[in-house]
Parts: sequence; structure tokens; C-alpha cells
Amino acid sequence: MKRVNRVNRANRANTNRTELRKKILAANDAAAARLRQRFAETGTLVIDLVSSPGAGKTSLLEATVRRMAGELELGVIVGDVATELDAERLRRAGCPARQIVTGGACHLDARMVTDALDALDCVPIEVLFLENVGNLVCPAAYDLGEDFKVALLSVAEGDDKPFKYPAVFAKAGVTVVTKIDLLGHAPFDLAKAGEQVMTLNPGARVVPLSVFDGWGMDAWCELLRGELRAKRASRTRLAASEEPLTNA
Amino acid sequence: MHELSVAEALFAACRDELAARGGGRIERARVAVGELSGVEPQLLRFAWEAVVADGPHAAATLEVDFTPLDQVCSSCGPVAERQPGSWLRTCPGCDAPLTLSGGGELDLIELEFEPATAEVAHR
Repeated sequence: MKRVNRVNRANRANTNRTELRKKILAANDAAAARLRQRFAETGTLVIDLVSSPGAGKTSLLEATVRRMAGELELGVIVGDVATELDAERLRRAGCPARQIVTGGACHLDARMVTDALDALDCVPIEVLFLENVGNLVCPAAYDLGEDFKVALLSVAEGDDKPFKYPAVFAKAGVTVVTKIDLLGHAPFDLAKAGEQVMTLNPGARVVPLSVFDGWGMDAWCELLRGELRAKRASRTRLAASEEPLTNA
Repeated sequence: MHELSVAEALFAACRDELAARGGGRIERARVAVGELSGVEPQLLRFAWEAVVADGPHAAATLEVDFTPLDQVCSSCGPVAERQPGSWLRTCPGCDAPLTLSGGGELDLIELEFEPATAEVAHR
């Protein structure tokens, strides 16, 4: 109550005080819950990709599209502060991609994803990537209706990133260490980075890879296949337990 | 960087709560900001001043309670030695792995306002 004397004392007697427990981002959380329901009904695996700028989100997606073309229908909603460049790259790689130009905003929110999804008219998507704006702080606060977040950490950035940006790495179910071909050229201790990730999130999985020489890409693709199988299995269980599945 | 978006959402939440109580003027909002919320308290205060400026709630102040997380050992409980921003690999007591608890708070926890009826009576 230190600020009492900043309030007009005549009004003070009329002040009402209410204790609350309300999430500030409740509106975003509600929009994310609607997205999650929508993705549950279609059995779409949804992954929010988060990293600092230049860690290799778009490159990982290009490599993933090239490897999994013909096997899985992939789609990307990509956020960028100012340009369409990333979506163009992904469309060239052969993947339906919708760009969200955030106009300066440093993160995607559930409303932006909802709008982009409505406009992404294409074949049913089995795995949808939400490529967030390059930023290791702000995207951690926003639920986008994803199944899990994947944090990317490139070898060139240094092995102490997890402790410096704990919110993202604590929330990411998977941390991908990118540009692993640079090990030996940059001072990066993979064991140390992995230990930091596991301290923040004991259940996390760490996947080192390089899209340059392809090392680790098999493990990454296998992780995606496994997660999609799990999502479909839970969808089947859901359908069996509460038919009809949709309330439309 | 996203504190402005958070402040806008907070201001909207405050006005919703106020409207549900008959309206009036916001005097003070109090929020809990967790260590893992991704929000910097000082930036949130600046952003709050910007979003309430030039309106009926321009005098509304913001109080931020920073809530650190706990690193918890399954046998020894929360590690008392931990300081916000530092990380222990294992429990200092028994060397067991630790899990994180809390720190994600981004909540409106208290609202002080002058009710609309009182405002009318003052005129």
C-alpha cells in the first residue's frame, strides 16, 4: 500500500479493492484452445519452432520438406517482422506456406495463426509447423495451440544459450542443436548445452543435426513420424470415447 | 520486447473486470510476473504508462510482484539456496536431479478502482 498517498485522499474512501487470479493472456489462451481443438479434430501435428534469428529454422524446414516430400503433407505458417522471404523459400522447396508479416511484432500469437490458417487453403496438412519470429524471449509467453515447441540452438551461438533464455528452453519439448557441422570451428560444448537444457526441462529431447551435410536429419524425421503416430493414436482414442468427435 | 502487447492485454483485462463491477476509474493494478514468464517487470511498467496515458485511467499505477521459480528435489523439496537467474544442476543435499516449479505466472492479481457511482457523487 505504498502508493496510497499518490491517490487523492478524498477519493480514497471510495476505493474498491478486488483480489483476482486472472491470466493476463487469457484471450490468447482461449484462441489457442480453439486452435488445439481444431487440430485434434483433423489429427494435425502442430509444432511451434522458436529460436534466435539465424539459428536455421527455415533451413531446417526446407531440409525436412525435401526429405519427407511424398511421405507426409507438411505445411508452414511463418512469422516474420517485415518480409515474405521465408515463405517464398519454403514454397520453392515444395511446401504450402503462409507468411504472417507481423509488422514489427516480435512473436506470433494465436489470433495471427487462426487468421493465417483460415487463408491456408490447401490439401489436408498432417504436420503443420509454426515458424515463429526469430526471438528467444517473447514467443515463450504465447500458446499457439501447438502440440509442443521446438527450440533451435545453433552451434555458432554458443553453448550457454539455454540458461540465458530459460523460458523458451524450459517450455520446449525438443531442443534441436543446429549447424552441428560447425563443431570444432566454434567453441561449443554439446554436452554442456544438453545439460543446461535438461536442467531446465528434464523431459526434453535434444536432437543435434546439420542440414548442410544431413547428419542427424534421420533422427529428426523419425521424431516427427513418432509424434504424428502418437497424435493419431490419441485422436483414435478420442473418437472411440466420445462419438461424434465434432460438435459441428 | 512484447511487454507492450502484454500491457495492452492487461489493460483490457482490467477494463473487463471494472465493467463487470459497474465501471469506474482504475487506480491501481497489481500483477504477478514469474521468472519464466518472459516478461521484464521494468519494461512492463513503462508499457503500462504508455497504454493508460491520455484516457480516463491515466493515473492508474501498476505494481509488479516478481515471482521466482523453485528448483525442487523429489526427496528434499525446494532448494533454499537457489537465487533467481542461477541454476543448480542437482540437489545440494542429496545430488538428485531437480525439477522446476512455478515461475510462469503472468496474472492480474488485484485491482483497485473508484466505482462509477462514487465518481458521479463527487461532481
